[in-house]
Amino acid sequence: MASQLLDVKGLNCPLPILRAKKALKDVAIGGTLEVLATDPGAVKDFEAFCRTTGNELVSSKEEGKVFSFVIKRTS
Amino acid sequence: MASSPLYIVLCSGEHEKLQMAAMMASVGAVSERPVEVFVSMNAILAFAKDAPAADARYQGGAFSKLLKEKRAPDAITLFRQGKALGDLKLWACSMALDVKGWELSALVDDLFDGALGLTKFLSDAENGQFITL
Repeated sequence: MASQLLDVKGLNCPLPILRAKKALKDVAIGGTLEVLATDPGAVKDFEAFCRTTGNELVSSKEEGKVFSFVIKRTS
Repeated sequence: MASSPLYIVLCSGEHEKLQMAAMMASVGAVSERPVEVFVSMNAILAFAKDAPAADARYQGGAFSKLLKEKRAPDAITLFRQGKALGDLKLWACSMALDVKGWELSALVDDLFDGALGLTKFLSDAENGQFITL
């Protein structure tokens, strides 16, 4: 289970990424954030976001039309 | 991870281009990429402090109507979020300010890092990726 949850369902690019960046500031290093999103570009966007920010994308799942990502804050 | 900085010259006053610039600048900044935006020509008019409500501030075509209908995030708000969450700087073109007879104080508060000449901006941008809108 992620330590924090961010629900950005219904929001379009770039808001899910901006909200995730903001939420990650409140996650302790080593802690995790779960993000729920419906933006169709979210899977590739969150992969790229984690790669460029150096955070770890622990999991990426799709259930129905909702994508869920678990991001581990690494620094 | 250090990424090549992104330099955006924003000169169009069209809503769609202002929105795209704000999206690129904010996403770039939160992706830990330094971003600098140089605002000139018609684009600077959209940043006037005394501009009317958002619907009138942003003028554009068919997609602008959709952005307004769907209540897409305000471009100036996106720039502000990018500044709050990452390394994003906005510069007002010193020529544009001069031609308009404006000081920096004529522009919306807490957004611009200062006025800058094009020569300095181009020189700073030598080693980054350059985009014009």
